[in-house]
Amino acid sequence: MDMSKYREMFLSETREHLAVMARRLVDLEKAPDDREVIDTLFREAHSVKGMAASMGYQRMAGLAHALEDLLDGFRGDGEVPATAIDRLLAGCDLLEGLLEDIAAERPERSIDAFLQNTAGEEEIPLAEAIPAGEEIEVLELEPVAETIPLELTVEIADHAPAPAARALLVLRELERFGELLEQWPSQEELFKGGVVRHLRVRLESSCERSEIEAALLAMSDLAGVRWGEDSEDDGLPRRRREDSERTVRIRTELLDRFINLTGELMTTRSMLQSAQTRRSWQDLGEGLDQLSLLVNNLHHKVLEVRMMPVSSITGRLPRLVRDLARKTGKQVDLQIHGDEVELDRAILEELADPLVHLLRNAVDHGIEGEGVIAVRAWRERDLVLVEVADNGRGIDPRQIRDKALAKGLINAAQARAMGDRDLLGLICLPGFSTADQVTETSGRGVGMDVVKAAVENLGGVLDILSAPGEGTRMLLKLPVSVAIIQILLVACAGQTVALPITRVHRTLEVSREQLQSSGRQLVLPLDDEIIPLLSLRKLLKLPNRPFAGSVPLVITELRGRRVGLVVDRLVGQSQVFVKSLSFPLDHLPGVTGASVLGDGQVVFLIDPQGLLDAVNPVAGRAA
Amino acid sequence: MSCRVLIVDDALFMRNMLKDIFTRADDFEVVGEAQNGDEAVERYRELRPDLVTMDIVMPLKSGIEALVEIIAEDASARVVMCSALGQESLIVEAVGAGAREFIVKPFQEAKVLEVARRVTVR
Repeated sequence: MDMSKYREMFLSETREHLAVMARRLVDLEKAPDDREVIDTLFREAHSVKGMAASMGYQRMAGLAHALEDLLDGFRGDGEVPATAIDRLLAGCDLLEGLLEDIAAERPERSIDAFLQNTAGEEEIPLAEAIPAGEEIEVLELEPVAETIPLELTVEIADHAPAPAARALLVLRELERFGELLEQWPSQEELFKGGVVRHLRVRLESSCERSEIEAALLAMSDLAGVRWGEDSEDDGLPRRRREDSERTVRIRTELLDRFINLTGELMTTRSMLQSAQTRRSWQDLGEGLDQLSLLVNNLHHKVLEVRMMPVSSITGRLPRLVRDLARKTGKQVDLQIHGDEVELDRAILEELADPLVHLLRNAVDHGIEGEGVIAVRAWRERDLVLVEVADNGRGIDPRQIRDKALAKGLINAAQARAMGDRDLLGLICLPGFSTADQVTETSGRGVGMDVVKAAVENLGGVLDILSAPGEGTRMLLKLPVSVAIIQILLVACAGQTVALPITRVHRTLEVSREQLQSSGRQLVLPLDDEIIPLLSLRKLLKLPNRPFAGSVPLVITELRGRRVGLVVDRLVGQSQVFVKSLSFPLDHLPGVTGASVLGDGQVVFLIDPQGLLDAVNPVAGRAA
Repeated sequence: MSCRVLIVDDALFMRNMLKDIFTRADDFEVVGEAQNGDEAVERYRELRPDLVTMDIVMPLKSGIEALVEIIAEDASARVVMCSALGQESLIVEAVGAGAREFIVKPFQEAKVLEVARRVTVR
């Protein structure tokens, strides 16, 4: 049995279990006598133990076993003392560390310190960790439990005939003692025959080593049996797993639908073929209609495969907030809503860190003393919205303006022209920090520009809504999927280019008379704001032309400010599959991808921000 | 109680040699012989021996085919394959098909009995 193919699955499932544990532990801290939570934690630890043991990760299995035992002690008599929760949290951290080691294919880190003593940094005396009457055995755990797999290497004698067959018989012999978890070479390789000198086996067995060894040594043609993991010098090739493919778990129901859809597609193909032979335009039309329905359906189903719930990245947050709150001495209540909403896994992966950063900011700069942070996710048409909101002090736009002026990020004229919304956007400029003091948790204010860049790279938009004393809302508007997006097609000097719809605030056509000049800059008064206009022709370095009649505009956001992009014509919207460009096209500034439209026309997807940076680099931005 | 053995080999010489080995040991009793795979299956059916020594390469029906048929009728059948050197892949195949052990010609008396005893203990 080759275990490497189960590895990815093991990693992702264990990650999920650990996320649940982390979350439940924080729940437990709030309600230390919640039986249901204790039971859940117990079951999670048990699952992790079982999976790790099956994969032969002895330390992880041992640690999970220790935590399971610890929890089991509390299943009987309710309340878990705070010290034990700390220990469980430390154990959970250590499990995550072990999982990292496994993922990175390093040897598992030591768990002895944890098992022997108590949690590392906070020295908790045993007597204190255990409530009166609790049996002390709970914490004094044997690192090796009876379910921990045995590892052995069987050496086959040099002169042995048919060593592969011998190895197969050894395996069969070992099966009498327990369950074979892993072996090298694999059964399939052995069936190919050839020369085998060592057989390495992981065996889950409750039998004594001596008993197993005696049975093996009674067999013919074996030179010896070695126990343990001392396999470094045995000349066996180490398995390489780095190249192993990333795996996705799919509900079988979804797979069944794929099969059904494929069947229907084949039926439709036959229908189309027959319509073509009979030259029946009507049947051809009906066939195409059906085909388009099926393809749409298939598209959605394929996207579903890539979908994961937001909970897969919010799982760690309660623990994070708990730790941050402890460090800062604040009382923070974290609420998570809508974490069942699904997003493309690629987006979720990119979102994990920005989300952590937003929470750190909320705890550090938002909450004063005591407060609530709410993380919400919901779906709005083609977008998924994720919001991190706190009920803290809020952000004062005037303070931002003063600071930006002082730091020279904007000039006085700009400062006067900017609305509150634009001012709030300034905190996303690199080097801007609203915290008067650099704190350990959110660092030096390098965060918000990173968050904004991450969101925009995903084709999303970051909105900051705040007012003094009214808390802060960081709103992330994200596309559901990365590969297929809604675009706005615009014409410009005979070219058609596409903008991701997520970057478009709105489109409108104004008459020449509505435009005003501010110095050499054309501006448009819009919603009590003065927004500057930029010509897309100029950004694309295409020949200019005078305005004629109405002026079509795309309102978008550049460098945190709303601007109007002047285009020749608004062509329309479309849903397209975006392909990334390869060298040398990928070096074009402001061009993020390309797509083939239904009529075969290739359009480039442009990022106005990138275009502007290329045309007019700003010192602060270029850094 | 002695262990009842069925010897299958197309060569009379090999059958006699094995028969002598088992007869000299007092814990075995040779109850039947067969010289090809078809015969082996028939004889197994009527005798239900405790142990079969099965040559691999035989006319009509090979030892492996016979082994497969015997195992299909009696999953607990104890069959030890006998082969010459250089038939590794056939041995592997036989083990995969359920042979309990294998011995390689030329036979050594002690080895044959050791293997036979170990296989019949359980």
